[in-house]
Amino acid sequence: MSEVALLQVIGLGVIGLGVAILLFIQARFVRVVGFVMIVLGLFSMTALGVPQMASLPPAEEKFDVANIKTASDMAAIGQKIFFSKGQCALCHSIGPSESARCPDLKGIGSKLTREFIYESLTQPQAYVYQDYRHEGLPKEYPARMPYINKNPIGLSNNEILSVIAFLQQMSGEPITVSPSEVTQPAQTVAAIPVAHAQ
Amino acid sequence: MLNHGEHPRRIASTGRGQGSLLAGLLVFLALAGAPLLGLAQDAPGQTAGVAYRDIPAVGSRNIVWVIAQLHLLLAGFVLGVPIFAWICEIVGWKTGEKRYDKLAKEFTKLLTSSYATTALFGGILLFMLIGFYPKLMAYLGDIFFPSFVVYCILFLLETATLYLYWYGWDAMQEGSKKTLHLFLGFLLNVFAFFIMIVPNSWATFQASPVVIAEGSDLARAWAATWNPTWWPVNIHRLIANVVLGGYICGAYAGIRYLSAKTAEEREHYDWMGYVGNFIGVFGLLPLPFAGYWLMREIYQYNQQMGITLMGGFLSWLFILQAMLIGVLFLGSNYYFWMGITHRIPGSEVKYRRPIMAMLVILLLCLGVWMTPHSLVASLEEARKMGGTHHPLLGVFGVMSAKMTVANLMILVTFMSFIMYWRAGKEETAGWAKVAKSIMGGVLGVAAIVVIVLGVWGYFVPAIVRINYFSVAQVLIVLFVMLTITPLTALLLRSAKTTTEMVWGRMPPRAGYALVLNAVMVILLMTLMGYARSSSRVHWHIYGVMRDSSQYAYSPALGYAAALMSLNTFLFCMLVAFIFWVATMGEKAKAGGGGGKG
Amino acid sequence: MKGGSLLKPAILIVGIYLFLKFALPLFTAPLPASLIFLYVALTATGIVIFATLSGQSTEAFFGPITRFLSGEGQAGAMKMARLLVLVLFPLLVGWQTYSSTAPSEQPPAENRTIHPAPPGEFVGLSNPIPNTPENVMAGKGLYAAFCSPCHGGNFDGKGPASRGFNPPPANFSDPTTIAMLQESYLFWRIKKGGVGLSIEGMPWKSAMPRWEVELKDEQIWKIIMGEYDGAHQKPRTWE
Repeated sequence: MSEVALLQVIGLGVIGLGVAILLFIQARFVRVVGFVMIVLGLFSMTALGVPQMASLPPAEEKFDVANIKTASDMAAIGQKIFFSKGQCALCHSIGPSESARCPDLKGIGSKLTREFIYESLTQPQAYVYQDYRHEGLPKEYPARMPYINKNPIGLSNNEILSVIAFLQQMSGEPITVSPSEVTQPAQTVAAIPVAHAQ
Repeated sequence: MLNHGEHPRRIASTGRGQGSLLAGLLVFLALAGAPLLGLAQDAPGQTAGVAYRDIPAVGSRNIVWVIAQLHLLLAGFVLGVPIFAWICEIVGWKTGEKRYDKLAKEFTKLLTSSYATTALFGGILLFMLIGFYPKLMAYLGDIFFPSFVVYCILFLLETATLYLYWYGWDAMQEGSKKTLHLFLGFLLNVFAFFIMIVPNSWATFQASPVVIAEGSDLARAWAATWNPTWWPVNIHRLIANVVLGGYICGAYAGIRYLSAKTAEEREHYDWMGYVGNFIGVFGLLPLPFAGYWLMREIYQYNQQMGITLMGGFLSWLFILQAMLIGVLFLGSNYYFWMGITHRIPGSEVKYRRPIMAMLVILLLCLGVWMTPHSLVASLEEARKMGGTHHPLLGVFGVMSAKMTVANLMILVTFMSFIMYWRAGKEETAGWAKVAKSIMGGVLGVAAIVVIVLGVWGYFVPAIVRINYFSVAQVLIVLFVMLTITPLTALLLRSAKTTTEMVWGRMPPRAGYALVLNAVMVILLMTLMGYARSSSRVHWHIYGVMRDSSQYAYSPALGYAAALMSLNTFLFCMLVAFIFWVATMGEKAKAGGGGGKG
Repeated sequence: MKGGSLLKPAILIVGIYLFLKFALPLFTAPLPASLIFLYVALTATGIVIFATLSGQSTEAFFGPITRFLSGEGQAGAMKMARLLVLVLFPLLVGWQTYSSTAPSEQPPAENRTIHPAPPGEFVGLSNPIPNTPENVMAGKGLYAAFCSPCHGGNFDGKGPASRGFNPPPANFSDPTTIAMLQESYLFWRIKKGGVGLSIEGMPWKSAMPRWEVELKDEQIWKIIMGEYDGAHQKPRTWE
């Protein structure tokens, strides 16, 4: 028996019991309980009568070092991180957005060097670029860039590299992060990547 | 989703009102636990420990769902009743009618025992959350630690105030002492409000997180608290709690009325049912506006989430919601109308026509509201319609139509109330005729404008409709209420009563109608709680922390409805038990008495 | 027999049913059974509410029913009628149960979510192409070339190829379609097509092609502008 059918049987049972109570029992409070049972049973039956749709979670992406073969693998992972764990999309948009709380990142990979992006992610207040693309004072954004490599977001170095790869790919630039830079889990995550630039 | 869905609610619930030493202790333990967990998480990365624990067979999600929902409903009750009691106390004090004061006191008595029960469930919930979702709780604990402290302090204040308010009731009856007591009631509600909004911030953060930058603990907690849906949820819940308190009072009165043995009891509980229903309706009228605001903020925060709710996999939920609200509106009006025909002798013939007109309008509105945009149709039917949208009735499926009928239903319900108010009285003022035609005019014009705006809404850009038309509809309805209410009050001041209201003559089905209304409100709360949780789909914290447990999916409506019904039933039984315990002493004194509520 | 107060409600219910079932389809498409059931149920609820408002009306309404069912002092035809009802009603329930559970070739009534939530990548994008007459014209040109065969030259979903599709191509001039959506939503639908729909879009996945294969992003944005302009609609915005 399917889950829906089972629940329908239970629902009918509850309604039936409620009706039986109303028919045969005189105690006031019990009658009210029976009445409530009928109401709840009817509600459940109605809900079982509409289209049943569960919402399944999409498959989970794992950052698996072993699977990274090419730079575009990294970019693909970076894209996932951008829209989930990295929380970038909470504020940033790619392309002009109506509800952006932070600068638009479209084409950022070609505007900024890899080192600059890395620095922006790990030391966001080191150099604040102001948006002069319009008249008047530079645009102020409501949110302040957090440290991406620290809690609560706390991306690992590998993950930050992947996000940079994604940003470059999205801007139509060659990806300058290479899979060989990804640290294997055994190694300690120390300072490395910024050192060797393009 | 549901499941993650749940947490927010659970957490929210954790927050809501508890009391008593026991609760305080539990909260304290939890607080002590949270930072520890947070520390555990900070410890070197990889060995993060378990993210989830489960209980086989039943499932952690189902358990948390039930406990969280019960806690939330109890909390809503515990926060709604003081508002309700305080208003009644003021009315009693202003008008000098002792029965209002008595009613307020009767409900405050319930408060003390339900306060403890709420806290008990809050504590259980907290342990479960920490046990089942250590990773999530550590994350939230890390961000919200300062508000945990605030919450505890509020708690102590609330508990102290409640004890003063309740135990000082008889001692502070006269003169300036009464004023002090009223002030205590006010304080009680202020603390209760803050006790509600602090946990709301935890739950709304899960639904609409903001980025947390570096900063002091306080600054981070503050930033996370001010998330986009915090205030809409606060307001929505505040109003909903008043509704819940009112209707539960009504249901209690209904059951006592059904089992009343003496004429005196019947009169008293008939009247109490009337007050409960009135306060419930009073809160119900502005509730759709608050809900609309919340929905708008959600859409604006994240289009994806908005669509999941309104057009995506949850869209059928809103048809169920329409059904429940429809029953609630019908039930409340039915009770008003029965009040007219039964309490005011000889009024039946006079009011038959207006009642029928109102009923027809309500049903038409309900028909529009409950018509889904995508219809359930067999393949054959769908082919004839050319898709699942009906070419003609499909227009009922969208927001413009729903907003319009919701406003009309509110107007009709308001008119029911005014009609009830004026029934059995005859205006003597010279300007009565003018006033009545003004009221009729205002109402007619308002209804027409609301409809015109609704139809026009199809022909303007969505943003114009949302920002101007819908807002205008709401303002018009509010304007009607704000003009007609004082006008009627003024008119009735000089009116002479032609037929005295007779209490205690309502038929048993009136009692059942009150119970039905209360069940509808509770079901609505469980249903919309599911909506709120499920809208986060597979996220614990939307877009930030993913739900990777086996319960990351959102169950279908049927399954969810079964659990909602179970929760509603358990809550009703719990409340019945609390009422029974609280009235035991009274019964012992009175000697006998029927069933309990 | 005081059947008077029962007669009117019965006529009302039957009348509403006949109107929805037969009269309304003369002007528009037939209503699905689920909707007719909803409206008739609402009517019945209203009748019960109205009938039970006062003591007399309740008696007038339910009295005859109770008397008929309990069979007090009945004779002749009435008695037969009562027996008939008591026999037929359980049979009716049984038949209904049987027909709703018996296997049939009819596919189950399904409901497709027309507008499922878009993936995160598409949320909140705004149109990067300036809204100039030239761009709009270019968009309409692209529309005519790529979209109009199905969605129609008049943006009404009635292109020459539309008849072959179930679900039919969207009608953009209907205020409940693109006017309810943001441009980013259309961008997603056009770019990813029917195969890009999420699971809620089941069971009839749309036949919309995945245009990212053939069109560049900016062409898609232009088409979107052309579509709104041609259908005389405005996209949903928040400011």
